[in-house]
Amino acid sequence: MSRWMRILYHLCRLSLGGLFVWAGLVKSADVTAFAGSVAAYGLLPYAGNYLVAATLPYVEVLAGALLLANRKVRPASLLLGGMTLLFMIVLASAWWRGLDIDCGCFRPDAENPTPPAVALLRDAGLLALAAVTFRLRGGTVPRPRE
Amino acid sequence: MPNDLRRILLEAVVILALGALIGLSFNVSLVMRVLAGRAEAPAIRQAAEAPAYPAPAMLEEVRELAAKGGAVLVDARIPELFADGHIAGARSLPLAEVEERLPPFRSEVPPDALIVTYCGGYGCPDSFDLAVLLLQEGYRDVRVFEGGFPEWRDAGFPVKEGPR
Repeated sequence: MSRWMRILYHLCRLSLGGLFVWAGLVKSADVTAFAGSVAAYGLLPYAGNYLVAATLPYVEVLAGALLLANRKVRPASLLLGGMTLLFMIVLASAWWRGLDIDCGCFRPDAENPTPPAVALLRDAGLLALAAVTFRLRGGTVPRPRE
Repeated sequence: MPNDLRRILLEAVVILALGALIGLSFNVSLVMRVLAGRAEAPAIRQAAEAPAYPAPAMLEEVRELAAKGGAVLVDARIPELFADGHIAGARSLPLAEVEERLPPFRSEVPPDALIVTYCGGYGCPDSFDLAVLLLQEGYRDVRVFEGGFPEWRDAGFPVKEGPR
């Protein structure tokens, strides 16, 4: 395992973890507003929007924090990667249906909405980060004791 | 190796469950209200600004929408006039009582519903004022049937009597 690979691993882990911690914190600060963003996708029933809004940001913070702490990195990156994949499917469906909505990825921002296509591209980057983190952790980087 | 993968998957599920649990416990009161059906429908965040002015709807258009059940017809007149006769299937939301009657209305009519307001015909401003108010409340497709109840009744379309 070269030094550069190790640097790459930590870079991916920290940026992925930091991004999700931030995204989760921003959304958990206003769960009702986030429920509105979820509802805009028109995919879930009334209570479902709230349940997603009440849980998803906290899962993001927890998994992101584990990555930052360099603990349980493979499960956490697998979970975040899986969630990102799900977000991409949902975004693609919004794009397909021509919905003119904000993606609801970070803070609800009516002034500067992120259109689904841009969010989709960004999520593809996140997915790559998660994949690299997961892969590099698999034996190529000496594991600290967990 | 498959064992390893299974452990990782299991741990990922545990993180998911733990995060969800933390989230639910942080939002206990909100979740309880939602499950009891008492929270307001989430205000849908639309990237595009909702139009400030409602679109007009013509008699034929309203009749088609009413026949297909594709729109929520809203009567903006006072309850007494509504009880005397209203468009069949319409619901009463008097402009004068909108403050107390809007919360239950919001919980029953989602923001993406097509709404057609009407009142006592041309020269009656209540349907327009109510439509503007509903747009401000986050409803996105609100139209005004300017001919109102008189035009509907005179065309011989279905009318109902009674409160509510």
